Amino acid sequence: MRTFRTGLLVGLAVAVAVGSAAIVYERYDTKTLKRTIQRDAVLCGVNTGLPGFSSPDDKGNWSGFDVDFCRAVAAAIFDDPKKVQYIPLDANERFKELQARKVDILSRNSTWNMSRETSNDLYFPAVSYYDGQGFMIPKARDIDSALALDGSKVCVQEATTTQLNLEDYFRTNNMKYQEIKFGKLDEALRAYESGQCDTFTSDVSQLYALRLRLSKASDHAILPDVISKEPLAPVVRQRDDDWMMIVKWTLYAMINAEELGITSKNIDEALKSKKPDVMRLVGTEGAYGEELGLTKDWAVRIIRHVGNYGEVYERNVGAGSKLDIPRGLNQLWSAGGIQYAPPIR
Amino acid sequence: MIKFRHFIWTAVASVGIILSSSQSFAQQNDRGDQPGLLADDSVELDPEYQKQMVYYRTTEAPGTIIIATAERHLYLIQGNGRALRYGIGVGRDGFQWQGLLNISRKAEWPDWTPPPEMIARQPYLPRFMAGGPGNPLGARAMYLGTTVYRIHGTNRPDTIGTEVSSGCFRLVNADVTDLYERVPVGTKVIVRQKPDL
Repeated sequence: MRTFRTGLLVGLAVAVAVGSAAIVYERYDTKTLKRTIQRDAVLCGVNTGLPGFSSPDDKGNWSGFDVDFCRAVAAAIFDDPKKVQYIPLDANERFKELQARKVDILSRNSTWNMSRETSNDLYFPAVSYYDGQGFMIPKARDIDSALALDGSKVCVQEATTTQLNLEDYFRTNNMKYQEIKFGKLDEALRAYESGQCDTFTSDVSQLYALRLRLSKASDHAILPDVISKEPLAPVVRQRDDDWMMIVKWTLYAMINAEELGITSKNIDEALKSKKPDVMRLVGTEGAYGEELGLTKDWAVRIIRHVGNYGEVYERNVGAGSKLDIPRGLNQLWSAGGIQYAPPIR
Repeated sequence: MIKFRHFIWTAVASVGIILSSSQSFAQQNDRGDQPGLLADDSVELDPEYQKQMVYYRTTEAPGTIIIATAERHLYLIQGNGRALRYGIGVGRDGFQWQGLLNISRKAEWPDWTPPPEMIARQPYLPRFMAGGPGNPLGARAMYLGTTVYRIHGTNRPDTIGTEVSSGCFRLVNADVTDLYERVPVGTKVIVRQKPDL
């Protein structure tokens, strides 16, 4: 009888232990870096196709702003930006797939907001691209402020936050407008092109991409005003702090590199620099990379293979690309924008 | 008072400028200068260098000019997080400087008297050239403090977006004329360089 009871207790204890281990496994995943190294590749969740941000060519090679971020993380870990597996995800499945550990990083033009972070057990380490809603107008209208849009007919996609922001903006500024709604974004664009509306509204990055589809793109301008906050950021799972740190500081290394004037072209010169903040970033002083579980030259690898923040911006979405989006909010804080990285020291 | 102001400007000019004009570039021709060439004003600039209103956050007062040499842009601050942005041509390596100056004088279709250092480097340049369409200073010039540097037009619109000058900032004639109308003498001009390693 006693042995039976002991057996029962032991059995129960084992069951509880296994059960709680399973719960711990579910909630506390702290092994992303280890798995990434064993697999010899970063699993990167990207948009299925968004010009400038992530898109595959006909050979299946991915490129874009979001793609370059995964390449930068791979460069920091492996000294090889090619060690990335791209997993295209649509908007509905992206957070579930990250939660299910199908990807290590979601780098998929995702807006950081509170509920996405709290309700999905996710973490947005740092803002990689400040987007927001703006307006496109025919250049012939010759206005340079959204505050001059009083009385406009506005083409907009219905049942979106874009439509709500539009309403707020005009009401806040005591301006009247006539809303011309469409179910699909493309229909709204066509209506604008045919002259049904005085202006067309969407997120600024999207306006630049959509402008390329107009028959005479150069006849249209995007106003400098940004009327909403759409901070795009990479996403990781909560509670794997070591991995989160790598993702966060990869981005900050790229922003700091731009601020210090370090580029993929002068990185070897930077290694000889005697300026303390350059030396800390390139690892000739201190061991900041080792504190991340990487090597001293982690940032050198990123800059050499992928480039600094400005290089990545210009190549994919800026002046070096078809999109030609001015730096705007994404310029460094010291040069007219709000991109700001804590120092490496 | 005038003397005091002059003193301030001289002080600002001498303290504010960090000049680096290394000898190794002395032999290099200033390919941006072609005296006598008539400007082809039909040249269309890259979208990046076309005049446009952009987002720009700064604590500098509206009316201030900020020149970002590394990106080849001149910003005229409008306030409210906005600036009018123009494409510019800047000094080639060794002829770049940064500092704080004021516009000390403005001139339409300015005459050109290349400074002695420029003549030494480029002996083929004229000693004097009257203002007009073939003049490398273009349609307008804004003089910076007591220095030899200016914000000016050009007869070479194809050099916008490049590093060609001896330290001046050039805009296409349409843009420099537009800027000229917007800024008075006394306007604060901040010149920024990319950081040294």
